[in-house]
Amino acid sequence: MIEPRAHAVKGGTPTLRIRDLSIEFSRRRGDDLRVVDRVSLDIWPNEIVGVIGESGSGKTLTSLSAMRLLPKRARIVQGTMYLDGTSLHDRTERQMRELRGDRIALIPQDAMQSLNPTLRIGRQVGEPLELHSGLSVAAAREAARKLLQSVHIRQPEQRVQEFPHEFSGGMQQRAMIAMGLALNPQLIIADEPTTALDVTVQAQVLRLLREIRDDKGTSILFITHDLGVVAELCDWVYVMRYGRIVEEGPMRRIFTEPRHDYTRMLLDATPSIRDVRKVQV
Amino acid sequence: MSRDKIVLDGLSKVFQQRRFFRASDGLVAVSDVSLSVPSGQTLGIVGESGSGKSTLLRMILGLIRPTSGTILIDGQDVARMPRHDEKDFRRKVQPIFQNPASSFNPRQTIGAILRAPLEVHGIGDRHSRRDRVVALLEQVGLPADYAKRHPHQLSGGQKQRVAIARAVILKPSIVLADEPTSALDVSVQAQILDLFRRTREEMGLTSIFVSHNLAVIRQVSDTVAVMRLGRVVEAGRVDDIFSNPQNEYTRALIDAVPDHAAVINRPERIATT
Amino acid sequence: MIQVMNGFDWRRWRLVLTGGTIIGIILICAIFAPWIAPYSPYDLDVVAMLQPPSAAHPLGTDELGRDILSRIIHAARISMQVAFIAASVGLVFGTLIGVVAAYFGGIVDLVLMRLMELLFSFPAILLAVVLMASLGTSILNAMIAIGIVFIPGFSRLARAATVVVLREQYVESARAIGMGHGRIVFREILPNILAPLLVEAAVAFSYAILLESALSFLGLGAQPPEPSWGNMLNTGRGFMAQAPWLSIVPGAAIFLSVLGFNLIGDGLRDLLDPHMKE
Repeated sequence: MIEPRAHAVKGGTPTLRIRDLSIEFSRRRGDDLRVVDRVSLDIWPNEIVGVIGESGSGKTLTSLSAMRLLPKRARIVQGTMYLDGTSLHDRTERQMRELRGDRIALIPQDAMQSLNPTLRIGRQVGEPLELHSGLSVAAAREAARKLLQSVHIRQPEQRVQEFPHEFSGGMQQRAMIAMGLALNPQLIIADEPTTALDVTVQAQVLRLLREIRDDKGTSILFITHDLGVVAELCDWVYVMRYGRIVEEGPMRRIFTEPRHDYTRMLLDATPSIRDVRKVQV
Repeated sequence: MSRDKIVLDGLSKVFQQRRFFRASDGLVAVSDVSLSVPSGQTLGIVGESGSGKSTLLRMILGLIRPTSGTILIDGQDVARMPRHDEKDFRRKVQPIFQNPASSFNPRQTIGAILRAPLEVHGIGDRHSRRDRVVALLEQVGLPADYAKRHPHQLSGGQKQRVAIARAVILKPSIVLADEPTSALDVSVQAQILDLFRRTREEMGLTSIFVSHNLAVIRQVSDTVAVMRLGRVVEAGRVDDIFSNPQNEYTRALIDAVPDHAAVINRPERIATT
Repeated sequence: MIQVMNGFDWRRWRLVLTGGTIIGIILICAIFAPWIAPYSPYDLDVVAMLQPPSAAHPLGTDELGRDILSRIIHAARISMQVAFIAASVGLVFGTLIGVVAAYFGGIVDLVLMRLMELLFSFPAILLAVVLMASLGTSILNAMIAIGIVFIPGFSRLARAATVVVLREQYVESARAIGMGHGRIVFREILPNILAPLLVEAAVAFSYAILLESALSFLGLGAQPPEPSWGNMLNTGRGFMAQAPWLSIVPGAAIFLSVLGFNLIGDGLRDLLDPHMKE
């Protein structure tokens, strides 16, 4: 039994709906490897959904498939995906490209690797606007300044002129978020966006994401291995293991009354700074 | 009165202009750190990136030379150690490093990796070394035939088990661990922490455990030192620091940690829809 | 997934085996030249000058009536010797310099690498010619000169690879257990930088053959009547129109040996990657 969902709109459509998604990896030797197995998930407007799992759980592939950015060897063998009620399945690559950045934005784990070291921050943050809205370089630069401001980067006038290496890790990640926000997407997919960051910086980034949801009603799909981050941020949680969703539910319930053994194991294995109870094996 | 096993006094490290460091005028990595670890206890060193925690550990390991200050191990000044004592020191103090992927020579078998410390120190003969390797693999929960495998055939957790085995094969009295679980999944991390604790207790080890993860530090440490920008901002018994932090930075650090256990005690947030 | 290696994986070895077969045949020719060659490489036969391939002389004869097949087989001795000795000189000294520079760093690194750059800044053939001029013309000196030409390349490669390996934690671990410099270099560093160096060595083999040919072509390598692929090519140049086989045959020999060594090099690069041993 799945409990009622606070963000679900009666008769409305979810921002993203995935049904029975299976993904297989082709291998040189042996059969294809099923890495995502009949996964169904919903993200409603204004909702932050957490997908939690350890390495190899298929959480990243599931989320990348919504943007159709799967690695070459992976292929979707079954399932349907709807963005705001319209099917993503029969879209051409060109149509998908229009969606990316415009209606779905991706915030990757490693901002430093995702930013082009040879381009100024302003140019990069404004790039989605140049590509999708046909803004001039100067107008995009001005928009970039505002975007940097909106993610709380101080002195944005000067910062747009700087290169990625002049930014700290937290600022790079915020610049990536600013880039993601450029076109006011309906859905932000954040793949472990804080894993490489220090905790104090992570706290700022999480606060920023919550603020974006509160201000704009953006749906956020947050992929992580960190239970603490889920507890801090998410409304609804999917727990994944070996390509399957083993449990879903409202965040609070998942933590207070986990139903699946694996969820319980994860909770027991994760050390807490407040709880002196020792971790269990 | 228990004598302190490790005593650090006014330890500093300034990196001078070198090829691999961007700072042109000395980068202060560690500044005036004084700490001590009583025998059999574990000191946790926690800090964010750039706090100098790994540099501090490398100085204690003798891998880099402090710019000033002293390191006393069993009352002996490490810097003024006579050459013939250095081998003893190496035997006594063993590291466990962070990255399971690069901790081992990819061209050697696990057996060869574990035998190396015994060979370097001329302990035992072929037979006894092999027996010791098998015994240690068993101690860290790996089958004996893993000695024939190469590092890339092992999972991250298994590699860290081997790292622990290598660290204790010389029967050291001190083990220094640098983020040994940060590359692992939580379920594996829990097992490795458990193994670390068990090994420490069975062998009566004194240890220093460096991590950016406050929760992990809380699990394994008796005392904790919080570092920031090369300095120790606060140190004390682990429970005191975590339940009643005095320093502002420590407090901010603890508050910033997203904690799943806190959910249970937190009043429900009202959904914004 | 860990799979048990069952049997011999032909596909992974095919490059090395193909290259090895070519080089193997050339080596056998070189070693057993006096027994394999149908004629003496030096015997003149004035009535049979510049003859095209025939039953008596399968690859024809040169301008002095010498059997080209026999000369090619004998020339393989010199070419192979040059290849092995020159590449070994380059490999051993280059690796030594590169590892020492990276391992000790600082001033040692600075001085050694600037010296290497000095050597590197000369075109290879010019450097070899200058060295030959100062060492004197002989085939042994040609080998040494070509070897010296290779040193900077090997030393840079060894230095770069060592710098990478030095950053690995296992080197730090080795220091932490009290391992000495020698053992660290031989046990931890060398095995891990060997792969790119061996690949480079295979390329150096083929390059050495080309360089020796070039030196012989210039009259600085093997001295007539001693046959080498280079001086045979040089001679053939004069008879390109009348007797093309004079240049085609040594050219083909050079091509085959270069191909063989390059195949070995490519194959080794794939085989020696420890992560591909699955």
